[in-house]
Amino acid sequence: MSTILETRDLVKQFGGLTATDHVNLSLEEGELMSLIGPNGAGKSTLINLITRKLQETSGDILFEGDSIVGLEPHEVVQRGVGKSFQTASIFPELTVEENANIASFGAEHGAFRFNFLRHRDSYPEVAERTRDVLDAVELLPQKDVTATDLPYGDKRRLEIGIALASEPSLLLMDEPTAGMSPEETQETVELIERVQEEMGLTILLVEHDMEIVFSISDRIAVLHQGEIIARGTPDEVQGDPDVQEAYLGGVEL
Amino acid sequence: MSDEVEPATETPAAQERDSSLYERWTDVRGEERTVAVLAILGVLLAPFLLVTLPSMLGLPSSYAWYHSLLTLTLIWAIFAIGYDLLLGYTGLLSFGHAIFWGTAAYSAGIFSAEVLNSPIAMILTGTAVAVLMAWIIGWISLRRGGIYFAILTLAFGQMVYYVFLSPLGNYTGGENGFTGVDVGSLFGVIELGSSVPFVPGGIVNSWMYLFVGTATVLAIVVGYRILNSPYGAVLRAVRENEQRAEFVGLNVWRYKLMSFIISGAFAGVAGSLYTVHQSYVPIENTLSWTVSGDIVVITVLGGIGSLFGPIFGAGLYMYVKNIVSGMPVVGPFWHLILGLVFVIVVVGLPDGVWGGIAWTREKVADALGGEDR
Amino acid sequence: MNILGEIIVLLVNGLQTGAIYVLLAIGLSIILGTLRFVNFAHGALYVVGAYAGLLITQKISVSNGMLAEWGMSTVGLGWGFLPALVIVPAFVFVLGMAMERYVARPFYDRPDTDQILVTFGLAIVVQELIHALVGGRSYKLAIPPEAFGTIPLSGPVDIPLTSVSLGLWRLWVIMITAALVLLVYAIVEYTDFGLIVKAGTQDPEMVRLLGIKITRPYIVMFGIGAALAGIAGVVGGPLSNINPEIGMTILVPAFLTVVIGGVGSIRGAVLGGTLIGMVQVTLITIGEVTMLGFTVNWTPWAQVGIYLLAVVVLLTRPQGLLGKEEVAA
Repeated sequence: MSTILETRDLVKQFGGLTATDHVNLSLEEGELMSLIGPNGAGKSTLINLITRKLQETSGDILFEGDSIVGLEPHEVVQRGVGKSFQTASIFPELTVEENANIASFGAEHGAFRFNFLRHRDSYPEVAERTRDVLDAVELLPQKDVTATDLPYGDKRRLEIGIALASEPSLLLMDEPTAGMSPEETQETVELIERVQEEMGLTILLVEHDMEIVFSISDRIAVLHQGEIIARGTPDEVQGDPDVQEAYLGGVEL
Repeated sequence: MSDEVEPATETPAAQERDSSLYERWTDVRGEERTVAVLAILGVLLAPFLLVTLPSMLGLPSSYAWYHSLLTLTLIWAIFAIGYDLLLGYTGLLSFGHAIFWGTAAYSAGIFSAEVLNSPIAMILTGTAVAVLMAWIIGWISLRRGGIYFAILTLAFGQMVYYVFLSPLGNYTGGENGFTGVDVGSLFGVIELGSSVPFVPGGIVNSWMYLFVGTATVLAIVVGYRILNSPYGAVLRAVRENEQRAEFVGLNVWRYKLMSFIISGAFAGVAGSLYTVHQSYVPIENTLSWTVSGDIVVITVLGGIGSLFGPIFGAGLYMYVKNIVSGMPVVGPFWHLILGLVFVIVVVGLPDGVWGGIAWTREKVADALGGEDR
Repeated sequence: MNILGEIIVLLVNGLQTGAIYVLLAIGLSIILGTLRFVNFAHGALYVVGAYAGLLITQKISVSNGMLAEWGMSTVGLGWGFLPALVIVPAFVFVLGMAMERYVARPFYDRPDTDQILVTFGLAIVVQELIHALVGGRSYKLAIPPEAFGTIPLSGPVDIPLTSVSLGLWRLWVIMITAALVLLVYAIVEYTDFGLIVKAGTQDPEMVRLLGIKITRPYIVMFGIGAALAGIAGVVGGPLSNINPEIGMTILVPAFLTVVIGGVGSIRGAVLGGTLIGMVQVTLITIGEVTMLGFTVNWTPWAQVGIYLLAVVVLLTRPQGLLGKEEVAA
């Protein structure tokens, strides 16, 4: 197994606040790592640094061995990093099928093309990818529904589908079960597990729901005030005194 | 990103997929043909319906369209179709589009006087200049989004206006406009001002109308194709959720720039046609910010996000500005009325006046048709 | 050639031109900074202020427009300039509050482009309404030579040691603007109201969560910004023509001032306005210059210069010279 993602001494400062403090993280190919920590620990910041939405203050990030700190967000996606957002980030006024189409265009055609004079239906490979994506997230029957009319759980699944359309090697998921009912949460977890197995994905998961974290993670990294204070298997992390202290008054393990 | 090779033998499901794809393909070709045919019919019938018929029916001539106005409307319609691509689909509000219309107009005019007076060459030159300007200004203005983009385009628009007024006044004619336009004959034989043989003046009154009409039909067909290309989907996605579009791997900035340039190209064609039609390039009707304001009003009023909305908007605006303005009672208030309707559209009628008409038509049809629909 | 005199004239004219922009920019900038609202109708407040000033100060004769059609040949109260200076700001203040309540508030959650479009439409409507009522001709606002019979308001003032004289009213405009700027600054810095507004600029969500009703300060803020625009219209009136179009034409320099100076910053508005005013007047005054055998006429560049300046600032320092964070990229 090779290291698919590695951050080296990653630092992010906002004025006087250090949101990310010399983080050294590495992910092995095929594993599911959860990133946990109390609110404000810097989890979202770390994710945003990896996807290049934020510019780091110093340090390096390596994806599949190559540094990605000089890339634009869309370039990182093209390299094989997908992201699923905290809120169901979809295209509300477009239909479910159109939503998947956009993701498929990005995947099949790359970042940019001059094809404004070719009809959209002349790309069977795009249509096929769209169909596969919607099939994978079980939304094919609703392909003509306007996305904003979907129930929240379906919007989430569409969102995950969009993230998966580019067949990423690494998927970053930012609190995918936030705001979900227990049934929806269960469905989402099953989806994540199934997708990971079928596509051989590496997943970095930010989550607050500890039950999920401890049941599906291969490894866990704990972030507190921008630093990683513990990492290891669920059992190792559960017993770590530093972790317990960081969570005092917060979420129970 | 998928490098899989298709299996040599197709499964029945795949065959079915292919045939339905083929069906869709023929449907689509049919759609595009329909749009082209409707465009041609519309352009050919408009003079008869709007100019000749009313006079035949006894409508006072001061209320009716006249040929030159119709031609001008088609020119603005081309401008509006391109502008809708930028505003309605990509969601970018530019207050400086007069730049592309105006520089194209001037370039076409000056080109005709100094180099070659072929109308087609004039159009090509004007459009090329507009595209170049759009590339430069788009590249600079799109660095910042939202309101800064609107303000930047406004600032650039004003800058170009003042530059053409003077210091470049010696070349452009300054506030008097460029008067040296020399519109030659089309293909060396057809005088654009002359009437078309064998065709009654009531249907097509001159080659000029045919020339502009052809350009309009092309603009509609090309516009329709662009909307149906991947760009149509991508640009809408950029407008709906720019962040998400970036995060499916699309280079959002380049698509925005392309959208800006394409809209600039449409403006360039329209501006060049303006010079060909007017044989004169006045600075106020080409580069002044009122032109930029007008195209915003026309497109929004007509209805953004549809192909016909902007065309309707151009017609409505031209009619109100030139005909209604001369009518008793409401005449002097034409601009005020348009302004009020514009505000109403922005507040509550996102599909514009055309959208409102289409909606009413549907409701009426529902009410009348009942169960049959 | 009296260099000192010419420089003084340049300075005064530049500062006075800039003062008008400053008055407009402060309101625009605060509204943009705190309420995050793009107000393309700010110029409409200016032109309404100018016409209100005109109609309160004197009686004008109307020949076109509805009022003339309804049989009126002159319109106006003729109460004099000083009452106008007091009434107009109050009137436009109320207008501004109404604008916040009925135009801005419904649009806070709508995309920026919709805000621009609706206020742009409003600006057109106001312009055309004025046009419809009193016609499109230009009027001049006449200032009395003295106030209360003793304080001189207008007329030439000889500058000692030079052979040049200034228009006194220009100096008044600069002084009035300076006083108002200090007043607004004091309100923002030293009152609770100002504190809420400043906090609202940083984090409107937080202010709401703290239980502070943000709507009242917002309305007042809008009103103050509007009143400043109205005053600009009144004090600027005597120095230029008053016609329906001036609202639109002043809008661009006003926005440029905000952009150059920095959104949400009063000091930025002052800096930006002064800069633009000085650049404009300087370029016009320099006129033709022959250097190294090249003759350049700078006057035509006077207009272009400020746009170039704005573009350069926007590209290199998008938050403006003195602005803080970017407002909604």
